[in-house]
Amino acid sequence: MRMKIDDENCTGHGRCAKYAPNVFRLDDDGYNVDRGSEIEVPAGEEKTALLGMKSCPERAITIVEE
Amino acid sequence: MNEDAPSAEVFEAPSHDEMIARFGRDLVNDFDLDDPAFNDKFDETLNYMVRKCPVVHSRVGRGYYLINTQDDVRRAAQDWRTFSSAKGYMPNRPEGLPYLMPEESDPPIHTKWRHVLNPHLSPRTVAGYEQPVRDDVNALIDKFIDRAECEFISEFGALLPGWAFFKNILGLPIDDLAMLVNGVEEGTFAPDPEVRGKYFGEVFAYLETHLAWRKTQPSRGDLIDTILAGVTYEGGTESPWAHKVSILVDLTFGGIATTTFVMASAIHHLAMHPDQRQLLLDDPSLIENAIEEYARFFPPVVALGRTCTRDVEVSGTTIPEGEFVMLTYAAASRDPRHMDEPEKIDVRREGIPHSTFGVGPHRCIGSNLARVELTATLEEWLKRIPEFSVKPGTEPTYVTGFLRSMRSLELVW
Ligand code: HEM
Ligand code: SF4
Repeated sequence: MRMKIDDENCTGHGRCAKYAPNVFRLDDDGYNVDRGSEIEVPAGEEKTALLGMKSCPERAITIVEE
Repeated sequence: MNEDAPSAEVFEAPSHDEMIARFGRDLVNDFDLDDPAFNDKFDETLNYMVRKCPVVHSRVGRGYYLINTQDDVRRAAQDWRTFSSAKGYMPNRPEGLPYLMPEESDPPIHTKWRHVLNPHLSPRTVAGYEQPVRDDVNALIDKFIDRAECEFISEFGALLPGWAFFKNILGLPIDDLAMLVNGVEEGTFAPDPEVRGKYFGEVFAYLETHLAWRKTQPSRGDLIDTILAGVTYEGGTESPWAHKVSILVDLTFGGIATTTFVMASAIHHLAMHPDQRQLLLDDPSLIENAIEEYARFFPPVVALGRTCTRDVEVSGTTIPEGEFVMLTYAAASRDPRHMDEPEKIDVRREGIPHSTFGVGPHRCIGSNLARVELTATLEEWLKRIPEFSVKPGTEPTYVTGFLRSMRSLELVW
């Protein structure tokens, strides 16, 4: 599964990394380090990734349709 | 319930007669944040509005709108070009009150300030304050634990956020806290706008004096020094002194006027619901999720405002250019289009897309610190006072406007 993190709409709530620390990482200011690009969700982390995605108040994370 | 529910919702129309019967007024055409009935029927009003009234209007003063659904609030909060913060966040703003940076500004000025301020309140930085905050939680509990009762607000909830912010971040003496807490509270809730202005003025004067004094002191490399260093605006002008003072005021308002309510509401809920309390006692790792649920359901910031820079349509209502619009974060956090049973509190709820800390570029800069305070409070409290209840014959009292706050909470154990 691939996910995309929107650049402008990520405003550093940090919820994604709280609920899915093996999928999303934060930079020193607390914003998603991968904002503006796509990531590959590691195998077995789909459920936590979806929880992190759902917890983002900005809806900055979306699933990339293959 | 569908995650990706279509945004063009068809709303069940609210009934005028039903609103009069239940709320004593027509919410859609005649809303008032300061109506005591809103304070008394807070949950009921929000639940009703988010379901049936996507947009409501108030005739109070110069008038203002409220936007209530999660999709509309999120879109408006992210669209800062249409919904500008530069003319302030409170409805019927008192005359002469200086604008507060960064909250009452738009990009690019806003972005400049957030860029230099964010590192001082990032998850990594505030992780370093966790132990001192935990120690303060315990020091406060020490003072009343043997008495087997306390008034939670004055003996704990109104103190901890101020201590955490003053001691760790501003390096200010906590002796002056009571005056500031009172100033912020009266400045927000005093019925007379003139009186609100007077209290805000005192808070401004105090903080300006402190900032001016720090200017004469050697640099400590802290948040205050970052504010004093300032930023360069577009076109090369340096941020003026008044903006620097306002940054400190804004941070102080946020730092002491909000977290208390989530804290007190969580403790109150746990006092009333032993089943939920037992879940946290059995598995303390649930506490962080519980805090998101409590923040969702007990929002200290009910709604904050924007000014429309053009005519804009929101869920079928056209809001004209120049009108003041409140984003009802409190209603958006209980939108049934985005969660099951939003009026139920469940510490095990999975995936809590709440807007209690705001949405868009103005996302609460103190959210990481607030979470540290809330986690330390629930963890230490439950360790030391696992069984507690509301003092018989008492119940908590509240005050509500665009912010909501709890005034008293008597506990026994
Ligand atoms: C539970 C506690 C808190 C809640 C619910 C809360 C809520 C909010 C909300 C909803 C906003 C968005 C403003 C907008 O949309 O215009 C905001 C902004 C802000 N908050 Fe908080 N806040 C809390 C704690 C804090 C703390 C502890 C601080 C200070 C350390 C703080 C400082 C600020 C500042 C300075 C802003 C303005 C940010 C900007 O405009 O870029 N808040 N807060
Ligand atoms: S939760 Fe959303 S806004 Fe927050 S850091 Fe993650 S992607 Fe960004």
